[in-house]
Amino acid sequence: MNDKNNYNDVLVIGAGIAGIEASLSLSKADRKVHLIERTSYTGGNVIKFEEVFSNMECSTCMISPRQQDLLQDKNVTLTMLAEIKEVKGSVGNFTVKIHKKARYVDLQNCIGCNACFEPCPVSLENEFEEGLSKRKAIYIPCAGALPNVPMIDTEHCLRFNGESCQACQEACAFEAIDFNQKDENLELKVGAILVATGFNIFDPREIPKYGYGKFENVYTSFEFERLYASNGPTEGKIILKDGKTPKSAAIIHCVGRDEVGYCSSVCCMSSLKFNHYLKSKIPEIKIFELYRELSIPGKSHQKFYENMKETGVEMIRTADVEVTKQGEKMIVRYASVDNKKVNIPVDMVILSSAIRPSEDVVKLAEILGIPLDEYGFFKEKSQDGFSVVTSKPGIFVAGCIQGPKNIQESVSQAIAAVGKILSST
Amino acid sequence: MTRKIGVYICECGPNISEKVNIDKVIDSVSSMEDVSVVDRYKLLCSVDGKKFLEEEIKKHGLTHLVVAACSPKQHQQTFMEVCERAGINPYLFQLANIREQCAWITDDKDKATEKAIKITKAAIRRVRYHYPLEKKEIECNPNVLVIGGGIAGIEASLQLADSHRKVYLVEKTSSLGGLIKNFEKIFPKLRSTSELIQKRISDVNKNKNIEVFTDCEIEEILGFFGSFEVKAKKKTDSEIVEFDVGAVVVATGSNLFDPKKTPQYGYGEIDNIYTAVEFEKMNLSGKISLKDGKTPKSAAIIHCVGRDEVGYCSSVCCMYSLKFARYLKDKIPDIKVSNFYSDLCIPGKLYQAFYDNTRAKDVEFIRSKNVKITKKDGKINVMYSDENGKMNNNQFDMVILSPAIKPAENTSKIANVVGIAQDDKGFFAEEHEKLGPVSTSTEGVYIVGSAQGPKNIPETIVQSEAASGKILSSLIPGRKIEPEVKISHISESFCTGCKTCISVCPYGVIDFDESRKISVVNEIICRGCGNCVAACPSGAITLKHFTFDQIYQELMEAVR
Repeated sequence: MNDKNNYNDVLVIGAGIAGIEASLSLSKADRKVHLIERTSYTGGNVIKFEEVFSNMECSTCMISPRQQDLLQDKNVTLTMLAEIKEVKGSVGNFTVKIHKKARYVDLQNCIGCNACFEPCPVSLENEFEEGLSKRKAIYIPCAGALPNVPMIDTEHCLRFNGESCQACQEACAFEAIDFNQKDENLELKVGAILVATGFNIFDPREIPKYGYGKFENVYTSFEFERLYASNGPTEGKIILKDGKTPKSAAIIHCVGRDEVGYCSSVCCMSSLKFNHYLKSKIPEIKIFELYRELSIPGKSHQKFYENMKETGVEMIRTADVEVTKQGEKMIVRYASVDNKKVNIPVDMVILSSAIRPSEDVVKLAEILGIPLDEYGFFKEKSQDGFSVVTSKPGIFVAGCIQGPKNIQESVSQAIAAVGKILSST
Repeated sequence: MTRKIGVYICECGPNISEKVNIDKVIDSVSSMEDVSVVDRYKLLCSVDGKKFLEEEIKKHGLTHLVVAACSPKQHQQTFMEVCERAGINPYLFQLANIREQCAWITDDKDKATEKAIKITKAAIRRVRYHYPLEKKEIECNPNVLVIGGGIAGIEASLQLADSHRKVYLVEKTSSLGGLIKNFEKIFPKLRSTSELIQKRISDVNKNKNIEVFTDCEIEEILGFFGSFEVKAKKKTDSEIVEFDVGAVVVATGSNLFDPKKTPQYGYGEIDNIYTAVEFEKMNLSGKISLKDGKTPKSAAIIHCVGRDEVGYCSSVCCMYSLKFARYLKDKIPDIKVSNFYSDLCIPGKLYQAFYDNTRAKDVEFIRSKNVKITKKDGKINVMYSDENGKMNNNQFDMVILSPAIKPAENTSKIANVVGIAQDDKGFFAEEHEKLGPVSTSTEGVYIVGSAQGPKNIPETIVQSEAASGKILSSLIPGRKIEPEVKISHISESFCTGCKTCISVCPYGVIDFDESRKISVVNEIICRGCGNCVAACPSGAITLKHFTFDQIYQELMEAVR
């Protein structure tokens, strides 16, 4: 299979949990893997979470050994801050053009001591922390992001904006900071491609009645995950914007379900997990879960729901919710099952947003020549909603880029794609 | 043997050197027994640092190496590789973590120095009790046994066979195809099932790499990953067939909850009440009719039958209930169809549209609780409480029950024969809920499809492909398997044969030797978790590289 026009190497796009698992498995089979990641770190969305349902395992403890394995794997070439520019050819012989942005920090020399952060005079919102904390122009998005090597944000770094600052370089004892690094254009030859670029969440600003962006203390699921995270902006302390501890919270399910046109399958469980988060930190807090249809499929989820019910959470079925403000409190107004309007005043609102494909999906689909389905996800060939096989031989999908799914399902798909790649290319 | 221990302290740039007085550490450890060289270096993990270490080992003829630096997570592997290159056994090495566990978390320099000395001394004293461990290699058999000839087993077999693996497919009934043979269509696209399954069955039959055994059950599986010996028994003539494989895929499917256990639904008592599979079969026969041959004018589909009893949502029943509504509307366009459901569980990108389309066909959805089915005036009466707790009654000609999915009856038997665990619901237990969905605690044995938990056909197929992915990436023809080195060893003279270790081993790798009346660890598949060591009341078990001596000596120095 190793003749001139048939390549064994595999391109994996996206270093989230699906991409990592696939890369490690392919490597075990002695395949050379080129793992391309858009950001400066591996781990994707999963590293934003403190715990994962249903056994409340520590999320970063679960994934960090896999990230470590990945960074040490001799068959995997990890290219971060990289973007796919062009894909030509067919199964067994794809030519891939990649643009890799300079990190300006040498991956080999840097030991991750973080000494360069403090002297950096620039301070701005940390996107990884959903703007809940500040970062420098040289930064690692959160403690524990791997590889533990910062990058320079050239848009905000003074040196890249005409000034002569070199504070970070002076602070580095390992000569790891290299302002002369250049963006690179790479070209790869691969036999198969796996797309695993993950998900984003529905932006609740699209539905003004939830008050997101208008009222303080209305959070998206991502923001709330970071608020609870021990490596997050508050070191895991759940507080309101004024620093007080919330006495009550409403968790609203199905935010954007009608707009996206499907049930995102994981939000009920993650909403119940949020109840657990709140109760574990603030035992006396009063919690309302406003849900439409409780979707908790699978053998281990009902038990978690029963346990959550025992914490005293009030489960309210409603399809009609609105958030307003009265004084210090938010008023969650909903239509009850007998169609009465009910108001509940709360300190905090968490919006469980629908799952959407990651932002770059349209461009990537175009480059790869794979059609998207009517919901904007990568379309699988069988149109059965779950297959990893696309209409183009040699190109496979795994994880939430193909449709909303939980971690177990994403990992199953990743390994299934490995099976497909090993048996067909 | 004379030990010559080399101790090297990494400055880690300013990370350690600014917090720890390294010269003081050097002074304190130099006089320790067997210590031959002590030195410091700017950054030992750098290219130059590794070269320096390698040269030092050779130059001084060192037998053991201690590096005081960062966390083993960071660079244990790095320095073990240096040992190998320099010609000493990599297990004669110990990493003392004086960065994460000392320099980075201790503000006072004197205290940090004192702590670094203790950590380093503990490592030095420990390494004196290290002994070389050797990697083993064993030949592996790339063939695969697949148990269960439903869609899960078929898909796994075909993908493995496509990769030139010999597959033994063992099915207990007389034909392949499993449960879904009974379905006319599959949701959400309502494609013909027979096209899918018949084609796949014929693919299996044509494939020279797949040997099919129908009417056949697994009797015994012995061995371990890479080398299992399988005995299966043909039901027709009790003939025993034997073959050797390197991995096993368990695809034995599931069963439906028996609605007789919930008498409120009247199943078995009242005519024209069908279970999901009975209704699938009736529909497949081409005609949906009542016992008296008449065509039903109305039908109720009851969701969540047995959900409370099994204790979980079976995840596929809402969708197949919607499919039943479509079957009914397709065959009897003017039939009234009502779904009685509690929560609509239709996760995934394609199902909402299927629901919307089904609803548009004038199918009624009634959110209900406490459904009770009785007979009334020749009709079937469905009594239920609505969302506001009000009791209501509706009459129907036909009732279809959508029962929960539960483990197949023979699950325990198979779990025993194959040597894998069941979860609290009775399904086969996966190795890890998230990261090991198709693996089990027994390496080389994989679980796929609804035997692992309720799931739909596309999810089942993906699991089958995942199991084959696992096998194709770990069991490779011509490649040898490297078992874990740091494993348990049971001392024959101390073992009293109490079998405690056998009960705590999560991987089932300890057997009882009846002739010698002692427990024996299978050294090929032991993963070195140490459970048995902690549990053994006689102290007969040692975990290599974590021996009593090694831990005791290290601790004694640390707490001195």
